[in-house]
Amino acid sequence: MPMQNRPSGFANPWFQLALSVAFVTVSELLLKRGASDTANLATNWSWTGINSLASPLVWWGILCVIASFLSWLYVLKYIPLTIAFPLSRVVDVLVPLSCWIFLGETISARRWCGIALVVIGLAVVAKPVARLEERL
Amino acid sequence: MTFLPFVFILTSLITFVAGQLFLKRAMESTTAGGNGHPRFGSLLGAGIFLMTISFFLTLGLLQRFDLSYLYPFQGLSVIIIAFAAAIVLREKLTLQLTIGAALISAGIVLVSIS
Repeated sequence: MPMQNRPSGFANPWFQLALSVAFVTVSELLLKRGASDTANLATNWSWTGINSLASPLVWWGILCVIASFLSWLYVLKYIPLTIAFPLSRVVDVLVPLSCWIFLGETISARRWCGIALVVIGLAVVAKPVARLEERL
Repeated sequence: MTFLPFVFILTSLITFVAGQLFLKRAMESTTAGGNGHPRFGSLLGAGIFLMTISFFLTLGLLQRFDLSYLYPFQGLSVIIIAFAAAIVLREKLTLQLTIGAALISAGIVLVSIS
């Protein structure tokens, strides 16, 4: 995979990775709100989640998913999956934090510990990448 | 009804991982040089198809559980994808990357069982 000769600015794959992560976080919040609003657990097909499509929030969420997907495809063109995918899991810190802040869900002590572990793991993955970037 | 949710969670996880591998292959085929990429369309299509199944299963699960409980299960995909990319796509997997991916997965599991 060519790490050099990468486009800069908006077309920079690392920027696109950040953009993709931001869209994923927003989409998850929208989908949760929308899915909960339209939940009807008694129906036969409710496991498929198809009735969530009745919520406009779900459609906004789908737009965000598409946007993050396009950014992600662009990232895949330039960055190896072994690096890009673990880094993209910063969403597993951002999503619980957003649930706590925006949806009023509670975060237990153990869950905070898990979030801290993810942050450490992200740092371990990101460190050699940062060194590599400095050299280029 | 405690067993069924895990079947759905597992299915959405497997389709997600497989989808990512197909997408990576598809995008790699565009940098392989030359203009004709006969496999791009089918690889992208397969990836999108698998991701779509995963997406709707996730929506169904979201109607039943808190997002902060459900979502982190996808975190297991970190370590699975790291190994799958190394094996299937022959990407270089360093010790440091493996440790980092394992820490992320462990953290996410810890988040999801609490």
